[in-house]
Amino acid sequence: MENNNNFFDAWLKSQELIIEHLAESTKNFQRTFCGLGGNGGKNSGGVDFRDVYTSWTTAVLNALREMDSPDMRLLKETLSKALGGSNAYMKLYEIWLPLFKAIQAKTFSPEAYKDLSTQAKYKKMLDQVFGFDPDAIAEVSAQATRFIDTFACSAQQFMRPWVEASEKSLKTFPQFLKGHPESFMTIFHTMFNAFDGTVGRIFHVPQVGKDREKVELLLRSLDDLSVYLAISTEYQHMIYITGLAAFEKVIATLAEKIGGGEEIKGFDEFFDLWVDVGERTYQALFQTEDFSKMQGKLLEASVNARTRFFKLMELYLYDFPIALRSEMDDLYKTIYELKKKVNGLEKQLKGVSA
Amino acid sequence: MNLSYDTFDMKHMVRDLGEMSTKLIKGATNLAGIDKIDVGTAPKELVYAEDKLKLYHYKPEGKVTCRVPVLIVYAMVNRQYMLDLQPDRSIVRNLLQHGLDLYIIDWGYPTKADMYMTMDDYINGYLNNCVDFIRDASKKEKINIMGICQGGTFSGIYSALYPEKVKNLVTLVAPFDFSTNDGLLFRWSKHMNVDALVDTYRVIPGDLMNAGFLMMMPFNLNIRKYVEMLDVVEDRDKLLNFLRMEKWIFDSPGQTGECLRQFIKDCYQGNKLVKGELKVGDKVVDLKDITMPLLNIYASADHLVPPAATRPLNDLVGTADKTLYEFKGGHIGVFVGSKSQKELSPAISAWLHERDSDGQLKETAEVKDSRTMHANPEGKKPRKKTTE
Repeated sequence: MENNNNFFDAWLKSQELIIEHLAESTKNFQRTFCGLGGNGGKNSGGVDFRDVYTSWTTAVLNALREMDSPDMRLLKETLSKALGGSNAYMKLYEIWLPLFKAIQAKTFSPEAYKDLSTQAKYKKMLDQVFGFDPDAIAEVSAQATRFIDTFACSAQQFMRPWVEASEKSLKTFPQFLKGHPESFMTIFHTMFNAFDGTVGRIFHVPQVGKDREKVELLLRSLDDLSVYLAISTEYQHMIYITGLAAFEKVIATLAEKIGGGEEIKGFDEFFDLWVDVGERTYQALFQTEDFSKMQGKLLEASVNARTRFFKLMELYLYDFPIALRSEMDDLYKTIYELKKKVNGLEKQLKGVSA
Repeated sequence: MNLSYDTFDMKHMVRDLGEMSTKLIKGATNLAGIDKIDVGTAPKELVYAEDKLKLYHYKPEGKVTCRVPVLIVYAMVNRQYMLDLQPDRSIVRNLLQHGLDLYIIDWGYPTKADMYMTMDDYINGYLNNCVDFIRDASKKEKINIMGICQGGTFSGIYSALYPEKVKNLVTLVAPFDFSTNDGLLFRWSKHMNVDALVDTYRVIPGDLMNAGFLMMMPFNLNIRKYVEMLDVVEDRDKLLNFLRMEKWIFDSPGQTGECLRQFIKDCYQGNKLVKGELKVGDKVVDLKDITMPLLNIYASADHLVPPAATRPLNDLVGTADKTLYEFKGGHIGVFVGSKSQKELSPAISAWLHERDSDGQLKETAEVKDSRTMHANPEGKKPRKKTTE
């Protein structure tokens, strides 16, 4: 339980950080693109669609430039290419825009075109159009980087128990491949604990809404099933390793006989040996307190899963024109009590008439 | 140096395989010729019925020499025809031939409609009604009760509650002291959440119970038994006997939830019967109230009801006429073993005949506080021995 709480606490803290950074980033994006707020930059006054688009692509491209960790490189390249491609279309549009405007205003003339082709004027126009603000871009870039870092951290926090469990299991895997039976249980336990300590708790979360009861029952049924499977696996493991030990004993006994120059006369002799050794080995297991407890746990887990499933089925079948189990139970109870009353009365009558 | 495969007699093994094939073919022919597995064939008449319970009265085989009728109370876990499984190995027929007047209870197959039935209903209700019926029919104040396994425990409880109606009590492989861990049933039951089990199933399926029984000896009951079936498969009569036993083993009625709940909690887990704390209905059971003569039979190699659970009864009852009988064998051997037919049934008959009179024992007045009877290979009259 303590581990569970640690996991959820850590996850919660990282989520809070994400939200905090996201809020800050959103605010800064807004300032940069729309000129809202106090630090809107040089072009905080009037902007059009192109300013917003250009600033955004620039900000993202800059942010991507700073994302230089090896695992982010692929993402960075992909996004850069995508944004670069759309920029090219944007620029083409911007170059031709004054001409279109002139055509629309019927002001197009060789003179006007000459003005546009003046390098100084063209640069001024470009600056106005693109509206670069190096400070704002730097800030947006830093925000984006922080946001991505925080998000990665949160995801890591969520995945941590699974990653650790997988690492531990991977270390055990070679033993499993070599045939060490206990290694399977180690792997199973590690992964189950990771499940139980993380998303497994979701099965106990109270639900809301019209179908609250059904959803809760469904989730808890799944949880019961997972608990049953875990105990069943442990139980089967006990049975399996005992069988393995029994067979090793059979082989050892055979080897001893053969070593002593004895001959195995026929199938019956081998069969008797196998059955006797197997029975003795299992008896030894069955007599242990551990096995008795495990069997008790298995039975309890299996009936708990059944009970919950039956309740769930009753909820789903409620609208059908059939008698449900709980309704039949009530009926049986009534009949049982009536019978007892009748029997008692009959005996009283018999006593009176005698 | 010999290689490992040299140490196996391959010629012998190949011959084994050939013989096995021959047996299988003959066995298949025999199996195909058996269309009915008859059990419980001793003639009997239905004399009383209540709900699913039926009370049968066996037709006498010859003269009835024991005047007080005997009511056989079998366990609810399996069917009562175990006592008459095959004509040549039938305790019922054997006792009838010895002049006993026999009744037997068939508890029936409970359904979910019976889920609320309690130990009170079975003991103070059904069992008491059957006893009253036989008392009326035979015009006897008291009758003999022979309880087997769980039915023996119920009979012991009944006898403690209604000593005025029981002349002699015979218990066969019946558990009373549940504190032991000798048998797996006793060990495993202590960790069983019977509330969860009963609340889920209401009536516990016989198959579930059987799975537990089979697990107690997994190799012998699930493997060896069927391999050894090959040894009898060529002989139609032996094969039929094998199939009868097989039928009985898996003919398991469900267990009514409330009754099983109390039986497991109060007996297996609480050992209340021995402690004098068991309450059945509104009555507290005190084994000291078993004041009628008692013949307590246990099986020395019983893996289901170990001697440690049966033997202590003799120290707990209030009667001075109590006999402990050791049967050399297992739980099932008590009913169908050849020794059972040769020794046990005659011993029971003799013990009841001795106590058939209204007053003291017929043969001797020297009844000691405690006695032990042992199975006698020669089939002579049981030897009595004072143990204290």
